[in-house]
Amino acid sequence: MALENNTIRTGRVGRGITGKVLVGRLGWTVISFLTLLVLWAVVAAIMQSRLFPGPLEVGDKLLSEAASGELFYHVGLTLGRVAAAFIAAMAIGCAIGIALGRAKGADLFFDTWLIFFLNLPALVTIILCYVWFGLTETAAILAVAINKIPNVAVTVREGARSLSRDLNEMSEIYRFGFWKTLRHVTLPQLAPFFAAAARGGLALVWKIVLVVELLGRPNGVGEQLHIGFQLFDVSMILAYAIAFIVVVQVIELCVLQPLEARANRWRR
Amino acid sequence: MDSNALRVTVEEKTFPAVEDRPEQVVLSAVDLNVEEGSFVVITGPSGCGKSTLLNIAAGLDEDYRGQVAFSQANAKLSFMFQTPRLLPWRTVAQNIRLVLDDDCPDGDKRVAAILDRVGLSEAATAYPERLSLGMQRRAALARAFVVEPDILLMDEPFVSLDDPSADSLRTLLIELWASKPTTVLFVTHDRTEAVMLATRLIRLGGKPAAIVQDTAIELSADERLDREKVLAYRMRLFDND
Repeated sequence: MALENNTIRTGRVGRGITGKVLVGRLGWTVISFLTLLVLWAVVAAIMQSRLFPGPLEVGDKLLSEAASGELFYHVGLTLGRVAAAFIAAMAIGCAIGIALGRAKGADLFFDTWLIFFLNLPALVTIILCYVWFGLTETAAILAVAINKIPNVAVTVREGARSLSRDLNEMSEIYRFGFWKTLRHVTLPQLAPFFAAAARGGLALVWKIVLVVELLGRPNGVGEQLHIGFQLFDVSMILAYAIAFIVVVQVIELCVLQPLEARANRWRR
Repeated sequence: MDSNALRVTVEEKTFPAVEDRPEQVVLSAVDLNVEEGSFVVITGPSGCGKSTLLNIAAGLDEDYRGQVAFSQANAKLSFMFQTPRLLPWRTVAQNIRLVLDDDCPDGDKRVAAILDRVGLSEAATAYPERLSLGMQRRAALARAFVVEPDILLMDEPFVSLDDPSADSLRTLLIELWASKPTTVLFVTHDRTEAVMLATRLIRLGGKPAAIVQDTAIELSADERLDREKVLAYRMRLFDND
């Protein structure tokens, strides 16, 4: 029986329609980025306003802040706070999440507390921390961590609830003991949940850190934005915002993604 | 009595009521003595409580009335499950190395030797999910044997494999068992497999299940590898059904 034409499927390779051949992924990123820059420049040129500076003015500001060292000083301080709050929130949140996922009674009891803290506005935590503990570094980091802990706990709790009973029985039969089980059986199962919590966490933490700095710190990117606001210096606000976006992207590309790829290398 | 490696006594095992299903007595008055070095196969209809009996012997199920006694203090157990239960995030070699103590002096050598024995040397550094089910089962078999257990428990370890793969694994098991005699408790619903492997065959039946048949299988190692002989023996043994 002859095969009809309309039932023939041809593989994509060699037909020149994969797209990758013309412009790579990186190429698309560059094109997209340049388009955004041009669009910004055009709108700024039309507006002709001190309150809507173009990319060149913002670039100038960025360079002068970098040259004076101000930029690195403030970005560095903010990054330090982000790191401290992030690590504290991950450690405490993971411990709470695992405990609640494993112990049903504790989960039933503390669920209400978790919902309370999940819905507590970030601003309230920040104000209360400053009021109770003073305008200190500890209060600032504590406020950020408290905002993040419930999210981490909820994500990791989901993972701890779904731990494989099959693998637990296996480690019991072969007498793995507590640490071996934790390291080779439990933590690898939780890794995707840690990664999800970390990724969502970083995005949330660095935004809240700026608010904390704005409200009660004498330095950091948040405080610089505050000054920019008071002076109506939009160039400065945008310069610091862009610097921060770049730093966060670099962390994402150079730290989080390689870590995730490493944790997932066993998957099919 | 001295030559018994294991004695499993289950006066009663019940599954608690779940939603619309009432409480169910699964096993009742089961008393099983397993001789040192014997290969005991437990068969019976599916759902009759074979796996439950094995889990009780393994200590995974403690929710029963009765007791499990070992002749040896702190007897070393291995369990080959229905699914391979390998850690997907560890390589085949790591999976097998993990069941040995960290400070085991010739650990790596033993892992290499057993991998060679089951024909997985080339797959040592592969992650389990990249292997076929048959190869994963080989790795699980290697893991069960590498600890040199006093008692090896096996719960339908060769189900859902194609016939050639299952047969080559059975042959491998017979060879491993012959070279390193171990007390084995093996659960299956496949009667041909049961006759091929067992030195003693136990049949569970009834509701709640109890031992309804207990027969010695007298076949030599060579005869076990001869399909005709195994099938003939099976016919004689189960001629009533």
